[in-house]
Amino acid sequence: MNYQAIRAAYEVPIATACAALSPAVPVFFDNLAASTLTSTSEYVMVNITFGLTTEVALKADFDYVRGAIICRIHTPKGKGSVRNQTIVAAITGAFQTLNATPRAAGAGVYARVNQIDGPTFDAPVDLPHYIGRFSCGFIASVYP
Amino acid sequence: MAKDLKFLVKDLKAETIRAAQTACVEIMNGLVKAGPGYSGEFSSAWYALPRGDSPGGPRSRSGLYKYDLRNVPAARFETSGMWYTIVNGAPHADVAMDLTPYVYEEFSGDAIKKQTRGFRLKNATRGDLSGTSGPNTQTAPADWWPTYGVGGALNKDLAKGFRTGFKAPPSFGTARGFG
Repeated sequence: MNYQAIRAAYEVPIATACAALSPAVPVFFDNLAASTLTSTSEYVMVNITFGLTTEVALKADFDYVRGAIICRIHTPKGKGSVRNQTIVAAITGAFQTLNATPRAAGAGVYARVNQIDGPTFDAPVDLPHYIGRFSCGFIASVYP
Repeated sequence: MAKDLKFLVKDLKAETIRAAQTACVEIMNGLVKAGPGYSGEFSSAWYALPRGDSPGGPRSRSGLYKYDLRNVPAARFETSGMWYTIVNGAPHADVAMDLTPYVYEEFSGDAIKKQTRGFRLKNATRGDLSGTSGPNTQTAPADWWPTYGVGGALNKDLAKGFRTGFKAPPSFGTARGFG
C-alpha cells in the first residue's frame, strides 16, 4: 500500500488550487509547522487521516483505502467572509475536478472524494483568525 | 409453522426498529472507542435523536461509558420518514471533536485513556500536537471524528449493529409473521 502516493493524489490538487489564487495562499499539510507566518497571515491547514485500508474477502484482503480530508482555512478576522469562501471554493472545485477525472491506464492511484461536509465558519474570541472548515471522506485505490 | 401474512409489515417494522436501536448502540460504543477520554464525561454524552432535537448532557464522569439498548428507546424510531442523528451533548463537544480550536479546561486526576504528549500551538485544535514530548496532551488522534465518520469505521459499526439487531432475540422468537 502506498500511502504517500495517496496523500499526493489529494495534496497536489489542493496546493495547485491555492497557488493559483491571487494572492496565493500558503498551504500546510500534516506535520508541517506554519511557523513562517505572522499572527494574522492567511493560510490553509490540511489534514489527511486514514480510516480503514483493507476489506476482508473470502480468499484474501483487498486494498480499499478510506479516510478523511479536513481543511481549515484561516483568514484575518474582521474582514468579512469573502476571502475565506473564495479559498473554500477553490479547493472544493479542485475536488470536483478530481472526481471528474477518469482513471488513467496503467499503474497509479485512482483517487476520489465523497460528499463534502461544510463549510462551517468560526471566529474564536481570543484568536486573530476567521476559520472556515470543511471535511470529506475519500476512497483511493492503488493500481500496481 | 406457517403464520398469517398480515402480520408481516408489523413484524418487519418492529425488527427494523430493533435493528436501528442496535446499530445506534454499536455506533455510540464505536465513538467512545474512537474518541477522547479524560474523565469519561464526553463519552457518556452521545444521543441518537430525530434531527433537530437537542441532546441531554453527560450521563456520567466515572470512566468510559458503555451504551446499551436502554440508551436508545424504541419510541424514538417509530415515526416513519424521519432522519436521525447521533450527537454529543457535552459542553465541550466541539473542542473534543476538533471542530473548533482548543480551549483550555482545568482537569485533575488521571486520564482514562492513554495520553500522548506534545506541543499544541495557539489556534490549533485539541488533537493537533507537534513532537512527542511537551506540556500538552491528547487521548485521541487529531480529527478522529471525521475519520470515524467517513473512514470506514462508521459503516462497519452500522452494518454490525443492523446484523445483530435483526438476529437478536426475543423479537424474532415472538414475531407473529415468521415461523
